[in-house]
Amino acid sequence: MADLIVHIVVPIAIFTFIAAFTLFAVYAERKIAGFVQDRLGPMETGKYGLVQTIADILKLLQKEFITPSAADKILFSIAPVVIFGAVFVGFSVIPWAPDFIPANTHTGLFFIMAVVSIDAIGILMAGWGSNNKYALLGSVRAIAQMVSYEIPVGLSLIAAVMITQTLNLNDIAYLQGINSPENIYFMGFWDVTHIGGIFAWHIFQAPHLLVVYVIFFIASLAECNRAPFDIPEAESELIGGFHTEYGGIKFAFLFLAEYAMMFLVAILGVVLFLGAWNTPLPNIGSLRLADWTTGLGWGITWTILKSFTIVGIQMWIRWTLPRFRADQLMTLCWKVLIPLAFVCLAISGLWRIMVML
Amino acid sequence: MTIDLLLFYAFAAMAIGSALLLVNIRNTARALFLLFIVLFAMAGLYLFALADFIAITQILVYVGGVLILLIFAFMLSNKELLHDLQSVSHRFITIPRWQALIISGAFLSVMLYSVISWSQTMPEWIESAQMAGTVISPSDNNIQALGFRFMTQYVLPFEIISIFLMMALIGAAHLSRKEQHT
Repeated sequence: MADLIVHIVVPIAIFTFIAAFTLFAVYAERKIAGFVQDRLGPMETGKYGLVQTIADILKLLQKEFITPSAADKILFSIAPVVIFGAVFVGFSVIPWAPDFIPANTHTGLFFIMAVVSIDAIGILMAGWGSNNKYALLGSVRAIAQMVSYEIPVGLSLIAAVMITQTLNLNDIAYLQGINSPENIYFMGFWDVTHIGGIFAWHIFQAPHLLVVYVIFFIASLAECNRAPFDIPEAESELIGGFHTEYGGIKFAFLFLAEYAMMFLVAILGVVLFLGAWNTPLPNIGSLRLADWTTGLGWGITWTILKSFTIVGIQMWIRWTLPRFRADQLMTLCWKVLIPLAFVCLAISGLWRIMVML
Repeated sequence: MTIDLLLFYAFAAMAIGSALLLVNIRNTARALFLLFIVLFAMAGLYLFALADFIAITQILVYVGGVLILLIFAFMLSNKELLHDLQSVSHRFITIPRWQALIISGAFLSVMLYSVISWSQTMPEWIESAQMAGTVISPSDNNIQALGFRFMTQYVLPFEIISIFLMMALIGAAHLSRKEQHT
């Protein structure tokens, strides 16, 4: 029975976190947009506009359910649930702190890749169900983009996994800090197993993993349809893409899914490349900074801090760069990122055989 | 009744129910999305057979790839053709479908035979595996064992499949190439 309660409490806790994160992130996004565009952003509701997003969500929740008369009613109403569900399930294998993980499976990373691809079906469902040209065009563009960019994401993840030799995200996290069961070498020559900190993170364990992380970051931006890859939404041409017809709580769910996806790819990048819950502070002689800042509370703090930093960078990029053209998007994916990812994959294999053994 | 058993029957009911609905529904778009539910429920059933790798691959390949391809094919196909497909006879069994009747009858008899014969005695290979202790448990690292097998015992089939995929990829690239106007 206790097991059952855990299985109910954990998803609710994660959902609450995602909802709170979305409220916070929308506010942060508007403030960052304001800063980049040299204006103030929301200022009216509450001190510095702090309760603006709460007012927004209250407005969305009170709205009437509107289904277009020509829409496919069932697909139209299921789509937001499928989209959000796909992203939400992905959180089940993410480690937050040492051994503090909802589902400690041996196939964690593979599982995330699979469930995130369900997202694409949901988007297609929304686009088709709306029975609207713009929505359908937006969803077709979204699928073309997501399917293409799944390849560089997958290849960059494989390049990292070849170094870790495990798909278990909990084990991957352990391999990047002072609690590591194996020896860690900074760039392959300096033993940092007992020093830990920032030097033990995966991006510094092999020089090419830095490149791999950049590939992963760019491709994951495209996976969650964020600017500069927001061609599916393209307000100026497609008036919002696949969620044109959505309003009220259904739109709130789509919005929640978008921000949850942003956080999911950010935390996935953190777990795989940026040391997961491991501290960035190294042990310096008798100053055991890494030993002091490792543990349950510290782990959660570091995970969230690092992920929020990455989400912040995603927002910064969104408001700085203009949108890509569709052909530029595909050129970047197929002619730049994928060949580069393949080269990194080959280097990973050689690195594992030549340097790590 | 334990939670596992309940989940198993829920997945099984979902798979069978949506598969039956899938073959009877007249709206092709909805049928394709029902196929998604069938494939998803099948992946759930694979989990109960301790085949977690197969389950995830099923979702990744069929839901993330094949199904999207099917939906695109549906969207790009001719409206008249789809209309013909949707306006077939209402009756469940018609003369043009007698081949289907034979196939389904054959499958039913195979399944009935296996259910009847297996419910009385355990198959010999299961008993011998239990004796020898070569059974997997839910906490085993299946994916690692699978990887070792792929790279040692089954390396030839594995490589042949990769060559096949390579051929398909090259073929697709060739077909989608622009025609040379000379």
